[in-house]
Amino acid sequence: MKIALFDPENWREIGATLARNKTRTFLTAFGIFWGTAMLTMLWGGANGFEGIMRRNFAGFATNMGAVFNGTRSISYKGFNKGSYWNLTTEDVEKIRQVAPAIEHSSVVNSRSATFVYNDKSKSGSAMGIEADYTNIMQPVVYEGRFINATDVAGRRKVAVVGRNIANELFGSESGVGKYVSINGIYFLVVGIAGQTSEASISGRVDDSVILPSSTFQTAFNWGHAVGFLIYTAPQGKTPSDNEAAIRRVLGSVHSIHPDDERAIGFMDISETFGMIDKVFLGIGLLALFVGAGSLLSGIIGIGNIMWIVVKERTHEFGIRRAIGAKPLDITVQVLSESILLTLVAGVAGVCFGCLVLGVADKVTVDPMLGAAGFQTTFTTAMVIVGLFFVFGTLAGTLPAIKAMKIKPIEALRDK
Amino acid sequence: MIISLRDINKTYPGIVPLHVLKDINLEIRRGELVSIMGASGSGKSTLLNILGILDNYDSGEYHLDGVLIKDLSENRAAELRNRMIGFVFQSFNLINYKNALENVALPLFYQGVSRRKRNALAMEQLERMGLADRAHHLPGELSGGQKQRVAIARALVTNPSIILADEPTGALDSKTSKEVMETFRNLNDEGMTIVIVTHDPGVGAATNRIIRISDGQIGDGNV
Repeated sequence: MKIALFDPENWREIGATLARNKTRTFLTAFGIFWGTAMLTMLWGGANGFEGIMRRNFAGFATNMGAVFNGTRSISYKGFNKGSYWNLTTEDVEKIRQVAPAIEHSSVVNSRSATFVYNDKSKSGSAMGIEADYTNIMQPVVYEGRFINATDVAGRRKVAVVGRNIANELFGSESGVGKYVSINGIYFLVVGIAGQTSEASISGRVDDSVILPSSTFQTAFNWGHAVGFLIYTAPQGKTPSDNEAAIRRVLGSVHSIHPDDERAIGFMDISETFGMIDKVFLGIGLLALFVGAGSLLSGIIGIGNIMWIVVKERTHEFGIRRAIGAKPLDITVQVLSESILLTLVAGVAGVCFGCLVLGVADKVTVDPMLGAAGFQTTFTTAMVIVGLFFVFGTLAGTLPAIKAMKIKPIEALRDK
Repeated sequence: MIISLRDINKTYPGIVPLHVLKDINLEIRRGELVSIMGASGSGKSTLLNILGILDNYDSGEYHLDGVLIKDLSENRAAELRNRMIGFVFQSFNLINYKNALENVALPLFYQGVSRRKRNALAMEQLERMGLADRAHHLPGELSGGQKQRVAIARALVTNPSIILADEPTGALDSKTSKEVMETFRNLNDEGMTIVIVTHDPGVGAATNRIIRISDGQIGDGNV
């Protein structure tokens, strides 16, 4: 017996039937088209919104932590409650030796300063950092270079000027190679930089002037004092994993009571990002839930219209049965029609959804941050078409079986 | 004998069972042009349905062209209908979204005949009916007489053993009715066995033998 599903004659017959019943075909196809398009747009849209949120943190390490100084809250070894202690370069060296989960780390010193070039002046934040800083908070270098390890080791009087400050001081000229006064001390400008991320550590790079941390300490008479230390944890660890070790080091050096939790300041932004992850998980689940709903209504739609189609065509099936169609011929016909419709309309719906996503992606492109990623993967698209195909066929099966059970004699009477 | 009915009984079950066919005995020879006449409710439609393998009977034996038609599966019944019987209905029963040629070719589709071949065979039958120029018209664009001749072409396309016509002129005016009956007579002259169910005496008179049925029984002196 030949298999009707692979018989070109059968497909020609089905194609002709669908083409001659344009309204019915269109209405059925539109339901499926809309279902797959909605699903594609929904899932791609969820990706896009996540992209819009996430690109605000582009170049910003999400597993970052920091340690900074504070005041003792418990009197200990002659130091009174409320007394102040200072983080130092030596502390940082010790922390780097003992902390178990530090991948990258950099000192950050920061103070407000006035920058002068020729007759122009601008206030902002001066920041002292180490070379490893770029691995924690990736800057965008527009011109020249960023601060490197040699600058820090040699206490070189070099500066990287934030883009906004550079625009004020140098105008349209190039700032690189010029000398800029920072609180009366001259520094050689080696680069102009900014940042993409909306998040920042003690001010945006664009509005700061970046110096080597060592030069910063000397220039502003900080001695060995350090503002704070930022660090990232390696894959699989969190910044907080370092807290116990850091507490031990600083506790012994600065005479801090072991139970004095508030004397040492810690920050762990991975906790915040963990929360953001949960928000997106929620959005993802919602999209999945709503998507499943639209899938279900699409499938019920297919089943519903196939049922009506079978009702409407009872007489036609009666004629076909009278002139020799077997019950299975009718079933195959009804099923093939729903399969063909589901496939064609489903693929078209996914294509339309991708088109809409493409437009959304273009519209939301940020010149600095790039595209948001309103996209679905090819696999997702295939899954959507596949789901509609499988469930659409199942939904078409019941009406097809009903069509098979139509007795020719009863169908012919039904006019 | 192309049709042989022996003691056929048919009862429609219900609260009051309806015994519609009572011990029907009937023989029709190859090449006959026969009409079955009776009032409505006489059982003639049921008889036609049984002859057309559209309905079952309760007891007796029905042989069509030597084949015992009894307790057939739906598939076997469909196959026999397709190969042995050509139907012509009162309301034409053409598929309205298919053109004349496609309607005529449809029975061959269910035989698995290739598109090229079935269109050629269908065209041959349309020519025979004088409708070659209407081959690509939809049924809605044809007159009643033309529709009925398309239906006759469809009945003939599989080269069946018999043609069963159910009130073939019921929906036609008297002039067209005469033409359709003329068509049947011509086919009969070519050797086709034709059974026409009708309540129209004019149609009955145009056949070679009239079988009268009333109250589920075939009248005396007709067999």
